[in-house]
Amino acid sequence: MSETVRTETINTALGALERVLDRRLVAALEVCARCGICAEACHVYASDPRPEHVPAARAERVRAVYRRQHDPLGKLFPWLVGAKDLTEPDLDALAEPAFASCTLCRRCTINCPFGVDTALIMRAARAMLTATDRAPEMLVMLADAAIARGEHAEEFREIYREIVAGLEHEAQERLGDPTLRIPLDQQGAEILYVGLSGAHTILPAAIIFHEANASWTLSMFEASNYGLFLGDPARAKAIARRIVDEAVRLGVKEVVLTECGHAYAALRWEAPNWFGGEFPFKVRSIVEVLADYVRDGRLALDPTANPEPVTYHDSCNLARNGGLIEAPRIVLRAAVQNFVEMNPHGKENFCCGGGGGLVAIPEWFETRMRAGRKKAEQIRAAGAPVVATSCENCNLQLTDLNGYYDLNVQVVGLMELVVNALLKARRRHAVPLPEAA
Amino acid sequence: MTPAWAIILLGALAVSVWGLWGHLRRTLARPWRPELSRAAGSPGRGVIYAFTWGMAPWAKESTRLHLLAYLRGVVFHVGIAAGLAGLALIPWRAAVPAAGEGAIAVAAAAGAVAGWGGLLVRVTEHNLRAVSTPDDLFSVALVSAFLSAGAGAWWGPRWTAPYLALGALTLVAIPLTKIRHCFYFFFSRYFFGLFYGRRGVVGGVQHE
Repeated sequence: MSETVRTETINTALGALERVLDRRLVAALEVCARCGICAEACHVYASDPRPEHVPAARAERVRAVYRRQHDPLGKLFPWLVGAKDLTEPDLDALAEPAFASCTLCRRCTINCPFGVDTALIMRAARAMLTATDRAPEMLVMLADAAIARGEHAEEFREIYREIVAGLEHEAQERLGDPTLRIPLDQQGAEILYVGLSGAHTILPAAIIFHEANASWTLSMFEASNYGLFLGDPARAKAIARRIVDEAVRLGVKEVVLTECGHAYAALRWEAPNWFGGEFPFKVRSIVEVLADYVRDGRLALDPTANPEPVTYHDSCNLARNGGLIEAPRIVLRAAVQNFVEMNPHGKENFCCGGGGGLVAIPEWFETRMRAGRKKAEQIRAAGAPVVATSCENCNLQLTDLNGYYDLNVQVVGLMELVVNALLKARRRHAVPLPEAA
Repeated sequence: MTPAWAIILLGALAVSVWGLWGHLRRTLARPWRPELSRAAGSPGRGVIYAFTWGMAPWAKESTRLHLLAYLRGVVFHVGIAAGLAGLALIPWRAAVPAAGEGAIAVAAAAGAVAGWGGLLVRVTEHNLRAVSTPDDLFSVALVSAFLSAGAGAWWGPRWTAPYLALGALTLVAIPLTKIRHCFYFFFSRYFFGLFYGRRGVVGGVQHE
């Protein structure tokens, strides 16, 4: 590779770093005292305790570059402060810590005496890698496919309508109620529900909304936002725009996202920053909606439908980084007979090891399985045969961990447990008493 | 304290303040990107939490697990505060009561022990050794030496000259070395509190 090309690549990477270098990031880069107390907070280190898995060591790769650019001593005596000129091999080597070893879960942040936001630093690293075409191809492809779907929505509309009609029939059969509808493009509906690719996020939601007598309509698009994983606000905004435009066009009061941690992080917390302000509608997770329905008595649930002990894995994006800690527990206490907490849980819960887009990257399967060892131990210690979660990425990772570590558990979404409890309650009410006895 | 020492120390203090002012200017020149999403909790209460209960040893798993390291850090930083207070008080030493002299000496000595202990851990523990830069070793050694001299100087006047010299050096090193984390600490904890308070994770406000 010629010197000119090399310089352009490095300049591009440094330019990407400069663009994201705001006050929060400067503080995160400057404040670390390298006390190393973050080590055991990281699920990757806890699963595979090597010095390079200490969050501070991971972030040090970006700090070294930052110091070379901005620290007076880093410019004069780089060896003294651990500053380093960025090279292409450094960039190549950054991909593993940025995309595979760090899931942006921020467990190190809440355990740091300074509150160092290592996820912010690793997101800057992802921005540098994406800008220089070093991001995992799969993430780029998925992000671009989502954008293309938004650009060609009209071509998909009729096909999607047919698919939804099929799903509607399936949901009617499951519920035993031919009046159930899956509305699409319903102007004036109160809720725009955004699922994921695949019926498993649409069918249970349709049953729940029907039973709660909610005014809702299904989105044409999927909730996932791979632009967020790439650290690329332009792509992330383009993906989010599809849903934002749809919600505005339909005049809904709120967008409800399916069980997906990063989709919640993207649309609930990050997207208003990309768009320059709050949306004219609320953004909530289906978990919050379910908790409201339970609290308001809008769903008749029979917890005996889920008799086995159930433990709950908190998604980092929903719990630690989204504050949804109590809501899923309100739902679980109503929908299952025996809810057992994992230890630790809530904001202190360990990442499953599949977050940050890692679960979508096939070449890092072994990496994420190794990183999930801590979670596997947690599940084993909880002793419950059913593990519930409210995040698709976590669900996939936990399912893989189940096989990899022979956990012998069943991994289910929260909505599925609710639908079980709801169907049993409905059947019980429908059957004449003597027969039921 | 002789006028020469006073000039050296005031000069060092001026360098320190000027350097930190530079850091402040450079940091504030960077964009401020507040979160624009609807708050679920209270950012203000999050910030209060970040600087109060959030610093308590029971607030974090890491400090619950490593209480000794936490206490070492607390003792080290209390010692630094005492060492710097002692440096400011030294021209008026004759007016400082014996109990005050003793308190500064003990706090500085304890801080020195914690500092040297921390340095020992840094060079012997494999994770810490791997993440440490020469600046980390230099900074901890410098501050530990400053506290050692401070303890000596407030115990008896023999160590006053090394104390003043190391004090001047420490003041100059603050903006240049990793010691400046004492300045960025306030930014970092503030942003931490703002972020998690807004999201209803800390600060005692339930998510809506």
